[in-house]
Amino acid sequence: MRKISIDPITRLEGHGKIEIFLDDKGGVANCYFQVPELRGFEKFVEGMPVEEVPRVVTRICGVCPAAHHLAAGKAVDAVYKVDPPPTAKKLRELFYAAHFLHSHIAHFYALAAADFVLGPDSDPAKRNILGVVQKVGRQTGVEVIKHRAIAQEVQRIVSGRSTHPVWTLPGGVSKGITEAERADIVEKAKSSVEFAKFSLKLFDDVVLKNKAYLDLILSDTYELNTYHIGTVDERNRVNFYHGDHRVVDPAGKEVFRYKDHEYLNHITERVEKYSYLKFPYLKDIGWKGFVDGPESGVYQASPLSRLNAAEGMATPLAQAAYEQFYSTLGGKPVKKLLATHWARLVELLYAAERLLELAQDPEIASPNFRTLPTATPEEGVGIVEAPRGILTHHFRTDANGLVTMANLIVGTTNNHAPISMAIKRAAQKVIQPGKEVGQGLLNMVEMAFRLFDPCFSCATHSLPGRMPLVVEIKDPEGTVVHREVQ
Amino acid sequence: MTHALMKTRILGMGNTILTDDGVGIYVVREVAAKLAEIGRTDIDVAEAEMAGFALLELLSGWDRVIIVDAVQFSELQPGEIVSIETADLHTSLRLRSIHEMDLPTAMALGIELGYPMPREVTIFGIQAEDMHTLGERLMPSVAAAVPQMVEQILSII
Repeated sequence: MRKISIDPITRLEGHGKIEIFLDDKGGVANCYFQVPELRGFEKFVEGMPVEEVPRVVTRICGVCPAAHHLAAGKAVDAVYKVDPPPTAKKLRELFYAAHFLHSHIAHFYALAAADFVLGPDSDPAKRNILGVVQKVGRQTGVEVIKHRAIAQEVQRIVSGRSTHPVWTLPGGVSKGITEAERADIVEKAKSSVEFAKFSLKLFDDVVLKNKAYLDLILSDTYELNTYHIGTVDERNRVNFYHGDHRVVDPAGKEVFRYKDHEYLNHITERVEKYSYLKFPYLKDIGWKGFVDGPESGVYQASPLSRLNAAEGMATPLAQAAYEQFYSTLGGKPVKKLLATHWARLVELLYAAERLLELAQDPEIASPNFRTLPTATPEEGVGIVEAPRGILTHHFRTDANGLVTMANLIVGTTNNHAPISMAIKRAAQKVIQPGKEVGQGLLNMVEMAFRLFDPCFSCATHSLPGRMPLVVEIKDPEGTVVHREVQ
Repeated sequence: MTHALMKTRILGMGNTILTDDGVGIYVVREVAAKLAEIGRTDIDVAEAEMAGFALLELLSGWDRVIIVDAVQFSELQPGEIVSIETADLHTSLRLRSIHEMDLPTAMALGIELGYPMPREVTIFGIQAEDMHTLGERLMPSVAAAVPQMVEQILSII
C-alpha cells in the first residue's frame, strides 16, 4: 500500500481556493474565492416524510447540527401549521443557548484567539489553541475544554444526545426535563456565565489593552460598509432562536424586517460565471457587484451583524458588554470586521445568561412540550441564527407530508460576497507591486476569512481532505506566480 | 510494549450522508462484525461523525488508535488506500483547520493538558470520488476498497 507524505504544494481537492489576479503593475486586480458546496440536498430529501428532515439535516454539518435541527424543526411546525406550546419553545431556546456556548467557545479559543494572543506574525506551528494554552496557561486550556463539554452535556440532557439531536417533532419536542435536570443545568449555566466573563476579560487584557492589536482592529484593512441582518425579539434585542429578521443599512438604520415565511420577498441569490457559489443579496436594493455602500444589496450575517441589527442584548451583563463594545469602537454600526471576534464573545455571555434565565423559568420543566398537529401539511419556512449567520430552511410537501421541495440557505452562504470582498481588501493591502509575497499573505487573507467563522460543505472528518485553503496569485496571463497551502 | 498488551481503538471517521465521506465508518462497521465473528473482544471499535475538540475525547485513554477516513488528494485514484503518519500532518500542513482543530493539534493539546494520549496512531485514508453530494451509499470505486481495507486493519491488530 502506498505511503503518502503531504507536500505543501500537493494539490488538494475539495478545498477552499482563493485566486488573486494581479494587474500589469503587480497590484491586485481581482480576487475570486471558491469552496465546494453540497449538492443534491433537495433530491436527497425528496419523498422523505418532512418530520424526518430535522433528524437528517443535523448530519449535514458536524459543527452546527443543533442549528439545522431547530431551523428544520421550525419549518416543519410551519408545514403543519402547528404552534408548539411555550415549554417546547423555551426548551428549544435553552438547548440552542447551550449550542451557541459550545460553538463560540470552540471558535474563539481554537481559531480566533491565536491571532490575538500570539500575534498574526507568530510561528504558524504555534498559532493555534496549543500556542494559546502555552501562553495563557494550562488552567485556561482546562477551563475551555470543561466549558465546551458542559455546553455539550446540557444539549445531551435536554435533547437526549450531545451531537446530532433527534428531538424536535411537529408541534414540539420529544422529551422535556425533570426538576433534577433543571437544577443541574442552572449550576452549569452559572459556571458558563463566569467563563464567558473570563473570556471577555481575556480579550480586554490581551487585545484591547494592546495598542498594536487595537490598531489592527481599527485599521481599514478589515472593513466593509454593508447592510447587516440579524434576528431580534419584540424589543429589538438579539435572539438566536426566533423573532423578526431585521435589516439595517450601512448607517445602521432599519430598512425593513421580515418574518420567516417572507424571506423570499427580500433575499435572492446570484450565481457568478466563474463560480458555482451562490451570492445572496437584498432584493429591495439590488445587485451592483462586489461593492459595498448603501446602493449595493450585499449584506453580512455574522455576530457583528446581529449586534449591529439589534438595539441591545436581552440580558444585563451582555447588555453592558454590548454598550462597552460600541463605545470603544465609536458607535453603531461597527464596520471593522475584526470586531466580529469581540461580538462573538458578547454573544457568548448572552448565551450563558440566557441559558441560566431559561433554566430558572417556571415553565421549563413542565410536561406540556407538544401540541399534536391536525392540519394538512403544505409549506413552511423556519429561520434561526446559526452561530455563523442566519439559517433558512424551506420545505414544501404533498398532502401526506412527503417532501416535494426543499431549499436551504446556510449561515455562511449569506456571507459569500462579503467574504470575497474582505479577502480582496486584505490582499490589496498585502500585495504591493515590487513587494515580496510570503507567508504573511496567507495569514492576512486567512484572518479576513476566519473572522466569519466560515463553514463550507461541512465535511466532518479531520484529515487533510477537510477543507484546507489554497491561495494562488496569478499574473494577468493566468500563470501562477505564488501558491500557499494551508 | 507489544501490540498484544496495548489497549487498541479502531476509529472510523466521516459523514454517512455525504456519499464517500462515510467510507471510514462503513469500514469499521465491517471490522467490528469480523472481530465479533472471531471472538476478539479486546479491540474497541468506534465511529465519529464529529472531529475538532471531540478528538481529544475520542483518542485519550487508548494506547493505540487506528483511524480510517476518506481523503481527497489529486494524484490518487478513487478507492486507492494510503497510510499517513501523524508527523506528516504536523510538518507538511499548517496545524490549522477551518474550524476547531485537526488531528496533530488535538494530539499535542491533549498531551499539553495532561490527557493520556495514544502512543501510536495509524491513519488510513481511502481516496473518495464524491464527498459533496448527499447520499447514503458509496460510489462503486470506493466500495470496492472496503474489503481490502478491512483485511489490512485485521492484519495489524
